[in-house]
Amino acid sequence: MRALIAAAIGFAVALALVLTITAMGSPTGKTSPKPLLTTVPAHP
Amino acid sequence: MRRKASLILLALAVFFAALSPLLRYYAFPRLAKIPANQYQDMVLEAKNATLLDYGTMKARTVPEVTIVQTLKGNVEASEKIEKTAGRDVVVWDGLSYVQGPDGKMVSKIPERYIFDAHSQEPVHATGEMVDGDPVKRQGIEFKWPFLTEKRDYEYFDAQARITAPIHYKGTQDFRGVEVYYFEQTIPWTKVPFPNTMPVKGITPESVAKTGTTRWYTTVRKFWVEPLTGAPVYGEEIHKEELRGGTLLGGREKVTAFAGHVKMREDYIEHTVDLVKSNRTLVLLMTSYLPWGFLILGGLLLSLSLYLEARSRRPDGPAPTKVGEPEPVTA
Repeated sequence: MRALIAAAIGFAVALALVLTITAMGSPTGKTSPKPLLTTVPAHP
Repeated sequence: MRRKASLILLALAVFFAALSPLLRYYAFPRLAKIPANQYQDMVLEAKNATLLDYGTMKARTVPEVTIVQTLKGNVEASEKIEKTAGRDVVVWDGLSYVQGPDGKMVSKIPERYIFDAHSQEPVHATGEMVDGDPVKRQGIEFKWPFLTEKRDYEYFDAQARITAPIHYKGTQDFRGVEVYYFEQTIPWTKVPFPNTMPVKGITPESVAKTGTTRWYTTVRKFWVEPLTGAPVYGEEIHKEELRGGTLLGGREKVTAFAGHVKMREDYIEHTVDLVKSNRTLVLLMTSYLPWGFLILGGLLLSLSLYLEARSRRPDGPAPTKVGEPEPVTA
């Protein structure tokens, strides 16, 4: 019984961790101030 | 004490074993996405290209035609569309700026491409356009989905405003990166004149009045890194003609542009380096971490079972007393 509880705790923590990370996502940031180019850049 | 340790190890074993498929099949599809604020530029060149001189209306060979392509993620527009679309959306405002050998503009085509940040499926919303013309894209453009498959895809052609298959033609090695090679052929198709013409005073409407039409064909080639879906290299064998009408002075057709367009060397190197680094991140999520966690889970489970077995082992019998050896007589 104790083994079952230990396994359930391990699974629940893994699930909670993955759900939290995916729910947080990544920040969208801001639109770059750089223009759409109409000149040939010298380098990337 | 051993029992307690074995239970903790068991919990950790299940934690890592469960994390492995959750990371690969739940987290990765949700976390892998194109950032909404991405900005990138690309320079392509066509050496010894044929270009129409609008002054004489005759085609001539020029040493180089340069195409500067910029893609800029519009965060504000994507956030606005996300509210109604209910999913992560990327809005790319793009510009294909073509420059002749004298540095003068040959053509300038803006476009807005709206797509799902995870799957690269097109999202239809107000503002989606090519050169000011509203379009409803089908298929992909510029980038393939993450974990690209060895199959044909539908690819949107911005010049013709049509979607056509781009065929998977095999796996190759491109500068140390395994890539899938795709090729698309757009047959001669009548296409609209660009809204911004290279000669002042000439507009698409004024050209249309002469009865002259613009035709285009291309063979588009992409070498795509399959994990990221990012093209590491691209080429295009591109031809444009003006046909019929009074503008050509009795001629049936004249070449407006013909050239083999290739990415500039410094941009190839930059793209390969960038894709290699992004590839490692994708591999981390799809392979290194899931397999690592699974192996770790297995090891912890083995250790847990070992400790459990030792804690259950009953005390053994007392060692038997070994007596003095008796003398042997013959």
